[in-house]
Amino acid sequence: MRVQLAIVAAAASVMAGTRVLAHHAFAAEFDVNRPMTLEGTLKHWEMINPHSWFHIDVEGTDGEIVTWLIEGGSPNQLIRMGVTKNSVPLGTRLIVRGYLSRDGTNKAVGTDLTFSDGSRLFLGGSAPGAGGP
Amino acid sequence: MNHRFPNSLRPLVILMTCGWLMPLSVGAQAPNDTSADNVYTPPRTPFGQPDLQGFWTNATYTPLERPDDVTQAFYTPEELAERLARAAARESAQTVLGTTADVHYDFTQFGLDRSQSTFAEDLRTSLIVDPPNGRIPPMTAEGKRRNAEREAARGGRWDSAQDNQLDDRCIIMRGSGPPMMNTSYNSNYQIVQMPGYLMILVEMIHDVRIIPLDGRPQPHSRLRQWMGTSRGRWEGDTLVVETTNFNGKNPFWGSSENMRVIERFTRVAEDSIRYTFTVEDESTWVRPWTGELQMKATQGPLFEHACHEGNYGLYNTLVGARLEEQRAAEEAKRVEQD
Repeated sequence: MRVQLAIVAAAASVMAGTRVLAHHAFAAEFDVNRPMTLEGTLKHWEMINPHSWFHIDVEGTDGEIVTWLIEGGSPNQLIRMGVTKNSVPLGTRLIVRGYLSRDGTNKAVGTDLTFSDGSRLFLGGSAPGAGGP
Repeated sequence: MNHRFPNSLRPLVILMTCGWLMPLSVGAQAPNDTSADNVYTPPRTPFGQPDLQGFWTNATYTPLERPDDVTQAFYTPEELAERLARAAARESAQTVLGTTADVHYDFTQFGLDRSQSTFAEDLRTSLIVDPPNGRIPPMTAEGKRRNAEREAARGGRWDSAQDNQLDDRCIIMRGSGPPMMNTSYNSNYQIVQMPGYLMILVEMIHDVRIIPLDGRPQPHSRLRQWMGTSRGRWEGDTLVVETTNFNGKNPFWGSSENMRVIERFTRVAEDSIRYTFTVEDESTWVRPWTGELQMKATQGPLFEHACHEGNYGLYNTLVGARLEEQRAAEEAKRVEQD
């Protein structure tokens, strides 16, 4: 099966991704040498702690659908600000940039999640220096 | 379909912007003024206690220890504003593709950088208020030896689940304390009072402190707990909580199980609690030391942080580490054969 998964050269460019105080060792979980970009449809959003997981259906060039799991942040602050599962309905097209898991399964950390037109998914960028809208 | 900002999210953009402005206005207040504090009389609960109930946050950019390049105890409002802006920019800074620092979800997209939420700020240059230099006192020889032994006994971080850090394992984070320190995000608390007890719900990462206020003594020293055992009493309008009986598995800046923590909660305004803590552990430091944080009223309710139930990361990390070891071994074998 071939999945439309663009492996981007590590030195290609600077992209979004923030400096954080990590809850756990992300570089041990995901492979810094395997950055990737994929586009798909939101199938399920696990709003759980310590990290949320986006289940995204990605269509391969052969037409077969493969579900990817994308790790995101703790949902608590989003919920406090009024973001619920209804804010990003199932079926939304998303582009995910991030890094593949080390175990080779269909998992990745979503360094940056955007809508298919390139706009940012949530609220990132309101802080100075975040580079967002 | 325009996804620039979905209509459902537009109000949140405004909220976030307000959140960014908030610390600047809060930071403009004067340094803590004891005489001014005395003017405020906190409301009472129906059973007559000073009312500390509500939702609070101790999120702050103020470091525990005073930075090396700072000598004064308080910033001017202008200095604080400049420091906060720099701290916020650092926290939300872009990272470079292909670097270890970049391997993470975007913090700002989930509203987790402190500049996007309510936080409790004041003009202090360090959380430590005593010693006057704002630094942790020197460690005793015994403390140094104990911490060196701890370090030597520690396995590789990803050797096993038990070798992972306590927060990786969702066991405890520093927000629980005591002393209750600010965490990277979700630094939120709920206080509930009743005549004989006070309860503190800690959002990060699931702990509840139930503190008896009925004058009972501490339990036997054989009873050791992650967060120690706490007993509270009122001194005027201030709640004083003494905690001992730590199990020693979650050292606070190198402390021993003999640490004693004295916390003081004083409501100094409708929307503020002054929280101070004194740490005593003569087997670790040459003298006690005291810190102070502000607890600022925030929006409730607290949302469950059921960390254990959703901690896929621990499994993924351990699997990743084993695979890396396997690959390294195969590579070493291949080189040897060549």
